[in-house]
Amino acid sequence: MSGMNRRDFLKYSGAGILGASVLSSCSRVASGFTGAETVPEGTLVFSHGPDSSGTIPKVIDKFNKENKDGLTALYRQAPADSGQYFDKLRTEFQAGSATTDIISGDVIWAAQFGPNDWIMDLSDRFTDEMRSEFLEPTLETNTFDGKIYGVPWFTDVGMLYYRTDLMEKAGIDAPPKTWDELMGMAREVQEKTGTQYGFLFQGAEYEGGVVNGLEFIYNAGAEVMPPDDPTKIVIDQGDADKGLAMQQRLVVEGVAPEAVATWKELETQDAFIKGNAVFMRSWPFVYGTILGGKETGSELKPEQVGIAPIPTLAEGDESFSGQGGWNFFINAATKKADDCFKFIEYMIQPEIQAEFAVGASFLPPRASLYEDEKLLKDQPVIELAKDLVTRAKPRPRHPFYSDMSLVMANEFNSVIKSDSSPEEAVSTLQGELERFANLGAEVYDL
Amino acid sequence: MGVASERLPGRKVKPKGMSGAWGSIRSEFNDPEKRTAYWMILPTTLIVLLVAAWPILYAVWLSLQRILPNTTEWVWFSNYSRMFSDPVFYSALSNTFLFTVISVFFEFTLGLAIALALNKSFRGQGLARGIAIIPWAFPTVVSGAMWRLFYQDEVGIFAALASGLGYEGVILANDASVLIGAIVSDVWKTTPFVALLLLAGLQTIPDDVYEAARVDGATKWQQFMRVTLPLLKPAILVALLFRTLDAWRVYDLFWSMSDRQLDSLSTYVFEFVRVSQADFSIGNAAAVFVFVSSIVIAFVFVKVLGVREEA
Amino acid sequence: MDDHNKQSAISRIGFFVGIALFLIFTLFPLYWVLRMSLVSSDALFTKPTLGSIFSIPIDLSGQCNLFGLKFSCPPSYQTVLADDLYKDGLLNSLIIAGITTIICIVVGSAAAYALARIDFVARKPVLSAVLAISFFPAVAIIAPLFIQFQSFGLLNTYWAAIIPDVMFALPLTIYLLVAYFRQLPKGLEEAAKVDGANLWQAFYRITIPLSAPGVVTTGLLTFIFAWNEFLFANTFLLEPKVQPATVIIPQFASIYTVDYGAQAAAALLMTVPLVIMVLFFQRRIVAGLTAGAVK
Repeated sequence: MSGMNRRDFLKYSGAGILGASVLSSCSRVASGFTGAETVPEGTLVFSHGPDSSGTIPKVIDKFNKENKDGLTALYRQAPADSGQYFDKLRTEFQAGSATTDIISGDVIWAAQFGPNDWIMDLSDRFTDEMRSEFLEPTLETNTFDGKIYGVPWFTDVGMLYYRTDLMEKAGIDAPPKTWDELMGMAREVQEKTGTQYGFLFQGAEYEGGVVNGLEFIYNAGAEVMPPDDPTKIVIDQGDADKGLAMQQRLVVEGVAPEAVATWKELETQDAFIKGNAVFMRSWPFVYGTILGGKETGSELKPEQVGIAPIPTLAEGDESFSGQGGWNFFINAATKKADDCFKFIEYMIQPEIQAEFAVGASFLPPRASLYEDEKLLKDQPVIELAKDLVTRAKPRPRHPFYSDMSLVMANEFNSVIKSDSSPEEAVSTLQGELERFANLGAEVYDL
Repeated sequence: MGVASERLPGRKVKPKGMSGAWGSIRSEFNDPEKRTAYWMILPTTLIVLLVAAWPILYAVWLSLQRILPNTTEWVWFSNYSRMFSDPVFYSALSNTFLFTVISVFFEFTLGLAIALALNKSFRGQGLARGIAIIPWAFPTVVSGAMWRLFYQDEVGIFAALASGLGYEGVILANDASVLIGAIVSDVWKTTPFVALLLLAGLQTIPDDVYEAARVDGATKWQQFMRVTLPLLKPAILVALLFRTLDAWRVYDLFWSMSDRQLDSLSTYVFEFVRVSQADFSIGNAAAVFVFVSSIVIAFVFVKVLGVREEA
Repeated sequence: MDDHNKQSAISRIGFFVGIALFLIFTLFPLYWVLRMSLVSSDALFTKPTLGSIFSIPIDLSGQCNLFGLKFSCPPSYQTVLADDLYKDGLLNSLIIAGITTIICIVVGSAAAYALARIDFVARKPVLSAVLAISFFPAVAIIAPLFIQFQSFGLLNTYWAAIIPDVMFALPLTIYLLVAYFRQLPKGLEEAAKVDGANLWQAFYRITIPLSAPGVVTTGLLTFIFAWNEFLFANTFLLEPKVQPATVIIPQFASIYTVDYGAQAAAALLMTVPLVIMVLFFQRRIVAGLTAGAVK
């Protein structure tokens, strides 16, 4: 009967295709069904997001060959998106399963993982002597409640990019120091050169938007949380609302386009490297794109671009830059803690940090490398970032930072869109963040 | 016929008394046909109980507690009251409601029209069907991001078309236009699914039924109303019910396309259950809300549209 | 008679116009995605104008290596085809989706048959319970499922994706098959019994073949669902060796940037097998259905 044949045909062809593919990668597929561990015993598993420069696998290979203890490390690719990576880790931690030994973590994770005893306290291993060679902000972000949970791997810092050539045409010879100056200069340059955008920044509702908003707040001389007291929220003291008001003004007065409320790093970079903006706030990676020229899509040449600290609200105030970067954490459940730390020690050597700086544009957290002649020549970004890395200011460090970030992202974005006023936003934030701070104090006994 | 206790679909059933329902089930084992039926549903029942029932019940249980890293306290309905006083919850609710009603409406009407059209023989019919399925086959994880790019003010093709037609604003910056964008994207993606479902149903209707109607002098419209629709009813109802439930639980599209700007009920759940540390429990309460409201929706379908399991 | 011809001519034109509009609406976004995968990232980020919509500046600066053949191709395809994780991902997708579909069809069609054609006490409760699975948002049961899988040692195995996929695909599978089976004439079982067949034989000799379009459609839809499923695969399959392609695609990105071209290329490559499958099986459906099959 035709019916029978058709059904059998479908069954057989399906099985056939499946069988053929399975046969060709037998063992891997087989272990996919049984969950057999394919990582050899004793291997150190290290996770980090994708690295398109290929530097990480190279360095790991070097470690495997050169290390004197016969250790083998394996690079396991984590999700590209930091939030997703965090989610994955947290799920694993909460369920008590430890598959990664050395975790590369974002700067905001130490205070979220540490107090839960998911990552190890490295205060004894990461000695004072070792720490003295690192930039202060990179250490600060890994410390919580008196314990240091992570070793800095590379750092990242917010910077103001500006078009030297356009400013020259408008007769301006130095970058702005305050936001008012920036607005004035942007307008002048736009008038004289017809550039589309005055100033670009990342204002979308996401972690980057939080960094941007915090930069405006910090540069108005205000704080969200005192650096050493995670139980207090002080955003309603000081001029935080004025800082956010300035961010709003930049959009309302047209210096920054309305669309920044939906833009992230990719969009702002794109508009800037196509030559359409006078100023942009972004991270060092953009300079790498510009150095890449046509190949990476840049229509600008390095000579046309300058880098300066983020402007402040009031004249003469200290400028702070938002801090990014990644750090080494050791999974608290690992059985090979000593070996893991040996891996970390290898990775933080000056030569290795230099290799990452040149190969992957990772800014080193070692202070000395910013004076290293050779490195300055091989990686121009170092020279430009030299001043800024000391001005980096971390985001609030708190076990409930994820919750705080959600509220901050939402409020900052509403202010940019003019859906709420800076004063309203600050007062809402004070209330919400306080709730989390109090909860944290209670739960973690801070 | 002969069902011991009338239960409406959509409610979890617990036997009224051990002897009552159990007794009638066991008595059915004597009938070889009915015994076979029980064997046939056995694997499904096992899956439902072991794999589905436990996580769902566990989530309901969690929703009555307040879970924090070091403490767990029983708070009964306080999570629910916090949720119901959260303005974000209501915006998620209204977004989801609008999204569901509008997109299901378009997906159904367009899907039915397309299924009817593809049911006719014409040259290239197979190819048209193959093409029609591509939006549904395109991975959602990328689709959301791509559509977002289409609407992006600088490089997006639809943003460019919109501004070409005179639209002044930034599509992504305005909540209403993002919602419309999400609906358009979902209609694009899901109409083929509905069409394919209905098409299969149409094709199971044998030609001689139409033949008989034509012989009786019925017009095309009458054929459609009197022959097609009634015979297609089971497939239509399944398509509508499942599409509505899927739209009600929409997550991927809102998360990747609106990028946290717009909340649906499921992204609301996600934010609390997966991102937040302090308010994890509210997420479970919201999940239970979705569960209960879905029951209500199914109930409405049963009552209003008559999805009665006729014997 | 003239009027009739005119009317049918108009309706024919209307019909074709309708089909054409539908195809344009369906294909245009796909065309744009294809264009994105073929051009350089520079052109990708150029503002489209009316003139440039239909021009595709194909960028052939990349080198692709497929099954040993080397040829020039757009850089997005080079990135994708060179990525081992992606290629392994396609195989993983096939395994997960294939097994999910087989389980759903086998288990689901048996259950649907019983539920559609036989009246028994447990029928309504089972239908309700199965439907109730669709009421729950998947994101909310991730944590409990994670714990369940972990305690059974199923994490990082294909089963961790297959089981939730089956769980969420089963309701639709069963309801669809119930609907399709219902459309068959009532007298079938009686006729089969008269011929001396028992229920099982009636099921797979008569019911399945006659509702072939329904069964094949349901199988296709299930396969597509499992092939494109992301949430469970992403949460439970933590090691790249078992991850399906849907999880790998978002990895074509870095912390600050997204490689849209590569993601577009990867997504299109993932869609191609599905389209081929649909074309292949669609012909089977049409071929098998002639008037009088019921007899």
